[in-house]
Amino acid sequence: MIIALPDGSRKEMAVENARIQDLLRDLGINPVEVIVAKNGRIVPEEEMAGCGDEIKVVRIVHGG
Amino acid sequence: MLTDAEKSRYSRQIRLFGEEGQEKLKETAVFIAGAGGLGSIVSIYMAAAGFGRIRIVDCDRVELSNLNRQVLHWSDDVGRNKVESALETLRGINPEIEVEALVETIAKDSIDRLLEGSDLIMDAMDNFPTRYLLNQAALRRGLPLFHGAISGLQGQAATIVPGRSACLKCIFPRAPPATTFPAFGATCGVIGSIQVTEAMKYVLGRGQLLQNRLLLWDGLSASMDEVVCERNPGCEACHEY
Repeated sequence: MIIALPDGSRKEMAVENARIQDLLRDLGINPVEVIVAKNGRIVPEEEMAGCGDEIKVVRIVHGG
Repeated sequence: MLTDAEKSRYSRQIRLFGEEGQEKLKETAVFIAGAGGLGSIVSIYMAAAGFGRIRIVDCDRVELSNLNRQVLHWSDDVGRNKVESALETLRGINPEIEVEALVETIAKDSIDRLLEGSDLIMDAMDNFPTRYLLNQAALRRGLPLFHGAISGLQGQAATIVPGRSACLKCIFPRAPPATTFPAFGATCGVIGSIQVTEAMKYVLGRGQLLQNRLLLWDGLSASMDEVVCERNPGCEACHEY
């Protein structure tokens, strides 16, 4: 599984099947601060992700 | 009908979308929530483009630390109500349009009154709780909401069309923590310009809107990306619309 992180870096993780909220926890990312896309689509953090999936973690910006 | 002065002022746009398109912009009433970094870019470009009626709302006064990005306000405006300097700047840019500038807080009990008569809503806020109020009001009134937000060199934009697209709460089910965000004026320039372009496309029925798509700008890598967002059938904000 490839994970694109908010800082622009990419990380490969050898994960068979995992809940996205658990992935975020393992990466030390506060789920309140981000939304997550799986294969280009925003998904809830309860969604499962497998080894062929591409995950993008997007940090929500709130300023104006 | 456009006057001769308007035909001259907007001649480069008329080449783009004709007098008919320009007349549509002239007939459009815009609500701009906030006269800060995004609100500056959004209001200046909407005024210059000839959106006929602009109502801009903000409750803050100009501070020195605003001036790196809030180009509606100049150094002599520090201490004044933001909407006062906004009114002067926008009238100076385009005296042909109507500008209304209100010192008001956008709140649950004021939002419907503030939106009265507006055709579209420009999100230039700096916090999600108020954005959710704008989202709910947009859904209730069937008005499009043009979302934008920035932090540092990053920004995001999306277009919400009630009944046709994911709403703001579908995309962001919960508000991120409120923090003092870093801000660079040019990032507001990128995102605010996208919001205005979206509004123009909506009014003129042109192109593909940022519906069901969240656009992401990263200034550091000079790249844009997008992710698809879908309506959430269980969304607490839009499930009944």
